[in-house]
Amino acid sequence: MKSNASLARRGFLRGASACIGLPFLESLGVARAAGAKADGLTPPKRLVFLGMGFGVTRESWYPDVKRTGVDWELSEGLKPLARHQGDLTVIQNLANQFSSEAHWGSTFWLTGANRYAEAGQSFHNSVSADQVAAEVLGKETRFTSVPLGFQGPDNSGHGPGLSLAWNLQGKPVAAINTPVAAFHRLFSDDNTPLAQRQAALAQQRSVLDTVLEDAKSAARGLTQADKDKLGEYLQSIREIEVRLAKEEAWLEVPKKQPGERLKEPEEGLEGEREIELMYDLMVAAMQVDASRVFTYRQPLDTFIRSLGATISAHNMSHYSNGARQEVSELRDRRQSELLAGFLDKLKASREADGSSLLDHATVVLGSNISSIHYLTNCPTVVAGHGAGIRQGQHLVMADPKTPLCNLWLTLLRGSGIEVEAHGDSTGLIKEMLPG
Amino acid sequence: MILMLLSSAAVAEPPPELMLPRVHAEFLDRHCLECHDRETEKGGVDLETLPFSLETVEAAETWQKVLNSLNAGEMPPKKKPRPADEELKGFLRDLSGVLVTARQALADTGGSTVVRRLNRREYANTMEALLGVVVEVSDLPDDANSSGFDTAGSGLFFSSDQFEQYLTIGRRALTVALKLGKRPEEVSMKFEPEVSLNRFWEKQASQLLDWHEKAEAWRATEGAKAPSEFGFIDENDVSFHERLYRQKYGTFRRMLEAPESETGVLLEALFDGAVVAKAGIPANWPSGEYRMEVRVGTMAGVAGNECYLEYGRLGGGARQGEMEVLGCVKVMGTVKEPVEVEFPVEVRDGEGREFGVRQRLPNNRDAARGAFLRALAKTGLGPEPTLWVDWMRVRGPMLEAWPPRAVKQIFFKGMPWEQADQDAYAREVVARFARRAFRGREPAGGFLDRLVELYRARVEGGMKFFQAIQEPLAVVLASPSFLYLLEPGEGEGPHGLSGEELAVRLAYFLWSGPPDGKLMEVARSGRLERTEVLVREARRMLEDARADAFIGAFAHQWLHMERLDFFQVDFGRYPEFDESVKEAARREVYQTIRYVLDAGRPVGDLLDAPYVVINDVLADHYEIPGVEGAAFRRVEVGADSVRGGLLGMAAIHVMGSDGNDSSAVERGAWVMRYLLNDPPPPAPPNVPQLSRVKGRLLTPREELAAHMEEPQCAQCHQRIDPIGHGMENFDPSGKWREVLLLVGQGGGKKRPRTREVPVDASGQLPDGVAFADFRELRARIGERDEGFTRGFVEALIAYGLGRPYGFSDAFLRDQLLALGSPDEVPMRDLILGLIQSQAFQTKR
Repeated sequence: MKSNASLARRGFLRGASACIGLPFLESLGVARAAGAKADGLTPPKRLVFLGMGFGVTRESWYPDVKRTGVDWELSEGLKPLARHQGDLTVIQNLANQFSSEAHWGSTFWLTGANRYAEAGQSFHNSVSADQVAAEVLGKETRFTSVPLGFQGPDNSGHGPGLSLAWNLQGKPVAAINTPVAAFHRLFSDDNTPLAQRQAALAQQRSVLDTVLEDAKSAARGLTQADKDKLGEYLQSIREIEVRLAKEEAWLEVPKKQPGERLKEPEEGLEGEREIELMYDLMVAAMQVDASRVFTYRQPLDTFIRSLGATISAHNMSHYSNGARQEVSELRDRRQSELLAGFLDKLKASREADGSSLLDHATVVLGSNISSIHYLTNCPTVVAGHGAGIRQGQHLVMADPKTPLCNLWLTLLRGSGIEVEAHGDSTGLIKEMLPG
Repeated sequence: MILMLLSSAAVAEPPPELMLPRVHAEFLDRHCLECHDRETEKGGVDLETLPFSLETVEAAETWQKVLNSLNAGEMPPKKKPRPADEELKGFLRDLSGVLVTARQALADTGGSTVVRRLNRREYANTMEALLGVVVEVSDLPDDANSSGFDTAGSGLFFSSDQFEQYLTIGRRALTVALKLGKRPEEVSMKFEPEVSLNRFWEKQASQLLDWHEKAEAWRATEGAKAPSEFGFIDENDVSFHERLYRQKYGTFRRMLEAPESETGVLLEALFDGAVVAKAGIPANWPSGEYRMEVRVGTMAGVAGNECYLEYGRLGGGARQGEMEVLGCVKVMGTVKEPVEVEFPVEVRDGEGREFGVRQRLPNNRDAARGAFLRALAKTGLGPEPTLWVDWMRVRGPMLEAWPPRAVKQIFFKGMPWEQADQDAYAREVVARFARRAFRGREPAGGFLDRLVELYRARVEGGMKFFQAIQEPLAVVLASPSFLYLLEPGEGEGPHGLSGEELAVRLAYFLWSGPPDGKLMEVARSGRLERTEVLVREARRMLEDARADAFIGAFAHQWLHMERLDFFQVDFGRYPEFDESVKEAARREVYQTIRYVLDAGRPVGDLLDAPYVVINDVLADHYEIPGVEGAAFRRVEVGADSVRGGLLGMAAIHVMGSDGNDSSAVERGAWVMRYLLNDPPPPAPPNVPQLSRVKGRLLTPREELAAHMEEPQCAQCHQRIDPIGHGMENFDPSGKWREVLLLVGQGGGKKRPRTREVPVDASGQLPDGVAFADFRELRARIGERDEGFTRGFVEALIAYGLGRPYGFSDAFLRDQLLALGSPDEVPMRDLILGLIQSQAFQTKR
């Protein structure tokens, strides 16, 4: 991107802040949920992507390929999801054709990009499906999207990236890395008086204006490649401006607190409890419509430790028959249990029209790595009815290398995002479309 | 010192070998073309017209797919005849090799470096140099780069959270840095930690005794009375208290009754961790650097590696022996003749002010308890106390200067209240600060105007000068001219760096921080362009302690030492490997490089040397006598010792393990990558798992035999694994062993199976050169200092120039290697040579 263009775009943005969806119902003091019914509004669509890092136990996680369609049985690793079988689909034979990094479970999972696509660069990525969705679904909520992650180094098989999300320029999007931080970002209200907060916003804007002034002189005399690099800085300023415009629009609307009082999480939680809390926070955020797009790059190393394992996640991922495989299978089951609990809560949460959150949400659990060093047949569970797909199926795609991006395209379209294609998609997954 | 000027003529490098050897045309013809020729093009794959040279992204991509489907065993299809193992192995080896080369060639930037943002380390160092404050940067991305060093511009992204983080960190740092007012007096306070601690343990002990007596009383009724009459919930509760009494009481009594406890604190392991003697800096003392003095002695009969006092910052778990370990010091006194040891502690705003000491302890509660229970089972008491603390004292704050240097630099004309025109002064202060933060670049007038407006708005809001000025200064520290190392020219095309730009490059290369006043002065005077001045400055900088930032970061990334923190070494199996040993092991690598650099030694000393560079902790771990003190120094071990060179270092062996067992594959691959400069291709995806070996307890050799069965595995593992076997004498904590204990991973409550085999460290290098044992392996690798030096130079170029090493750098590399034979040319000269090269002094 050219810096001059960004500077010009910025001027446009300032004038265009009215384009940012205003929380008008809430600003009138009408609870959105209550208003929804009265106005005949349908509850909003939501998307949740859960990245598991290293893959699953291939012997026991995948359902029997001989039984597909609606007459199938959950595998050992997926059993804990039995009560949701009618609300989910397991798809086999999806893969990203360009993947060749055996330890990168998340970097290209939602993007389908080719690391080597650009000559003269040793790393390239493109926009992730959640960020495509956020462009549309994020307009009307306080948070355009909520990328969650975990603290510490990536020893969980995710690969490069700060979260599952990559922005329109293919650059990493930062995550909120602890339940405590997520809690405060999503639900803690700023108690300072309105006038003061308005003044603070104005000050933040003048700070942005100031650094942009420096950016102009910084760009002088640089090569095009350097200007492009500096463009990342300008892009980040632009994103902050969008957010400030949003904050301004939402200034008089207090952050809605979740129905059941969600307590501030403890500091330093790790593993199973941490994942569960992040799930609870996402449910709570959906209940109050704080955001409609969520990603979660899940901890795996601390997860299996919290289940009593003494081996590392990488070591587990190279299981062979024996104790390592037992750890791997235990992780599969507990992961399914956690997901089942998450789906329970989404089902139990009612929208104003009596439907449940899960009726309007799509939750995907998966990874770019299927098992050990395999990058084919990426493990994929799609739950919820938000994308209007036929649920309760076990699909085994005929082509063993059906693009994972076909699934992302299907879910994006189903969620009302009008995109032609995503990544290397070649079409929709017809078997998922309503008959 | 070298003063050889490298030729400035850029010589075109012939393109690297990107051809798949022609002989493989036969392989394709025999196994692929029946379906994948121009006409049939099954699956849209035409291998007949696919060029054998991998010069385009597209060609590389198609060959990658060929490799992947062969690795995955998908091709040739099951019905078709399978290629012979040897034939397939040869094809796979050449194809994966040429693909690695092609990927590197295609990623070649052609020598151009994209503008660099300060990475997280450089940012922290720069902030410290500007403000005299250590900033907390753990919320920023660590900038670790998947394809090289954290200095590579293209990998340094800027995410939208980052801007606000820079602002926040800057604001916080300025609040801490800008301390005005009177100079705080140095004060001290003495603590007799036994006063409160013994009272606490006494209370614990008497409660245990109380419950014990109640339990006895209840038992005496022989069930006639309910436990609840004695205050218990039920019988389980009785047993619970009885157990606690057995586990803890005796150890408490031993401690409390010991004569040493009357005048001090005994440091020992407890059921719930360990005794921590603590001292706090009172809340009304200013933050800053303090000294902690401890009078301490060892108990009689304590082993060498137990004489260490660990010191650290206390958090919530001090009663359980937990603390954030800051360091450890070996105690050279006894209870009769105690010594005073001293260490620095830093008090920062908003952080804990309590510090403590304890004996060495694994930072893992289960492991600590395991050790306690083992002693309890043997003697009925916990492990014997090891150290005795007489008293502790805190003293400070230690001030370098008052007002702090940063304050004097920022308020360069004196305190704001002494100025006649405060607004004019504000502009001067901001302008001067920005110039310094921008490393000599002149801030634009419009930018300054806006900064002053930020100040004005705050003054109008009622703030004093001193507060109002902080915001524009914080904004400077989040501006692009500060965060990016700008080297503007006339747009496209290479241009020579100005003296100041060269100074900045030099400083971020050798210090990971900004140039100091002296270097900037030399640069401004134009003298830095003179080679002898440049070399003199670079030598001065390498000798400076700030160069440790370069050595640590370079070594850490070059040798991929992040693996050191990937796993917790199993304390049950390797009880001597605690945090102190791990930190010492990490520093051994850095300190050895530091020594090689300072002593004018060649890079090859890292392969094989008759000396080690260690401190007392590591000497105890290696069982090398006569090393006293925490400082690292050269210690002669002789050519025959297993120590000496990277291959003898604990850090390398820990990294080549997973915490439980050593891994011949990890170790072998590491040696090939970094010591032999012959990296194996990345672990390929989709290789079928060997099902036959499932569940058996294999020796490393049996594992290799299994790997050899499939050509996809064999092509790499037959080269990798034998090197790892040669290192099998080192356990996962880096200690020497003669017997290998194989431990199965017992499932559930099953006891794991074990199997003992003598270590067999014989094997051969990838080119077939054999070795009989570890010493021979090291000697054979030691002879290959040419490849190692080449790898070092390539890494140095990548780190120093801020981009991955590419084929277009081969000329530069060969020029540096031409400075002398690898067994002679000092490491320092290679660094100085790079600095003198045209590439280093040119912005492309």
